Amino acid sequence: MADKKSRILLWQPMMANAFYALVPIVIASVYFFGWRSLALLVIVNIAGFLTEYAFCRVYRQPVSSAVFVTNFLFALSLPPTLPLWMAAVGVIFGLTFGKMVFGGFGRNVFNPALVGRAFIYVAFPNHTNAFWSDPFRGFPAGFAHFAGDAITGATPMTILKQGGEIPLVDLVAGFTGGSLGETCGILILLGGLYILWKKSADYRIVISGFVGFLLLQWIVWATGTQGALAPVPALFSGSFLFGLFFFITEPVSASQTNIGKWIYGFLFGALVVIIRTFSVWREGTMFAVLLANVFAPIMDLAIREIQAKRKAASR
Amino acid sequence: MRGKTKKVFLENLGRGNPVFIQILGICSTLAVTNVLKNTVIMCCGLVFTTTLSNFTVSLLRRWIPSRIRMMVEVLIIACYVIIVDIAIKATLPDISRQLGPYVGLIITNCIVMGRTEAFALSNPPGLSLVDGFSSGLGYSYVLLIIAFFRELLGSGSVWGVRMLGNWWVNWSIMVMAPGAFFMLAVFIWIVKGSILKPDQDKKGT
Repeated sequence: MADKKSRILLWQPMMANAFYALVPIVIASVYFFGWRSLALLVIVNIAGFLTEYAFCRVYRQPVSSAVFVTNFLFALSLPPTLPLWMAAVGVIFGLTFGKMVFGGFGRNVFNPALVGRAFIYVAFPNHTNAFWSDPFRGFPAGFAHFAGDAITGATPMTILKQGGEIPLVDLVAGFTGGSLGETCGILILLGGLYILWKKSADYRIVISGFVGFLLLQWIVWATGTQGALAPVPALFSGSFLFGLFFFITEPVSASQTNIGKWIYGFLFGALVVIIRTFSVWREGTMFAVLLANVFAPIMDLAIREIQAKRKAASR
Repeated sequence: MRGKTKKVFLENLGRGNPVFIQILGICSTLAVTNVLKNTVIMCCGLVFTTTLSNFTVSLLRRWIPSRIRMMVEVLIIACYVIIVDIAIKATLPDISRQLGPYVGLIITNCIVMGRTEAFALSNPPGLSLVDGFSSGLGYSYVLLIIAFFRELLGSGSVWGVRMLGNWWVNWSIMVMAPGAFFMLAVFIWIVKGSILKPDQDKKGT
């Protein structure tokens, strides 16, 4: 029996840490947006597992438990009002074209969750970008509802950019509109610190990401660029924190050399600010992660070459 | 001779297909396949051009100096493309506007140039005519399949007629060029994976 089970699923203890870090965020998303967020999560997990299983079965390999981390991250990056079938399409596409065509677990160039997210973002712009539900407050809040009924077109990014005000407490605690997992800054910080402590995420990427983001955000804000937010509200609005701890640190698509990791994180932080401030999109985390993914292998190549040359020269 | 003609004809539709085996003419595959109607016009233009330019180049092959053969080929191809372009402009102005520069760009289509260069220069006119025609057909049917799915998913319609009901949400990525990348990739994947079984290139990793 145990033998049979292991042929279907390969359990990786490293992945468990990510789950422990994500569970509070999942509960929070139910609290803010109702049980529908859990339904999204379940659908995404089923579709994602079946996709990976369909490919792994051909090669007689077990499905790695990494797929569930991808599923969780994908589901938490979705807007709460997204139709369920779109979520399934997104995760199937992301896993197929972001992961399995490159050879499966450990070989993906891009973060598969974000490949799927980017696909549905471009394919269904209305559903992924225009409808956001307001969060529930108090108690029992979302635990007593299936879905939020108030549909607004605004996330903190939009409100703040248009000069509106949101109390910082709301931003940090997560009483704002947004994707399922991105709103509650405190829980993301806690979960993020946990995976840092467990070494599932690399501290170099996180620190340099923070530095890159805050530095550039401060520059654009201090120079009075139109649409630039002050660094602290900017940090807690949108999905920068979520992307910083859970997406950019994904070990496979991240840079593999230590110097590369510093540059990689900084690049991500800086790109988020640039995309947020100067592009037509309100949020830049997703595209910043994918762009940084593109540059990671090239940077590694260059860094390894330079290091080899120096070593040869010093001899 | 009969057998050879047949072989040339079938080669371009199957194992030597210009699009999914030789991966040629991808630019127009990406650009014009978002709506079925435009694709059909584009394919007609391409079949016309490849067939006749192949034939003409083959007729003249003994008199074309090999050092300037490329220029001569391009001149011949350009003549036919201009004919196509003017004909489309005169009869179907709307589609001509939608296709934009892509009709003119048939001149630089790798398939046309490739067939004249690789086939017409070393084969008799009759055979070259068949080869040009079947290359055009090989290109066309792939494009039509891709265009069918792109239009269905991207606009919910086929040939401009709404096929899927109001419940259908358009996949706007399918109307854009990236959608064609994925469609073409999936098409090549299916064809190479299941229809043309890999026989000799079956290696380990």
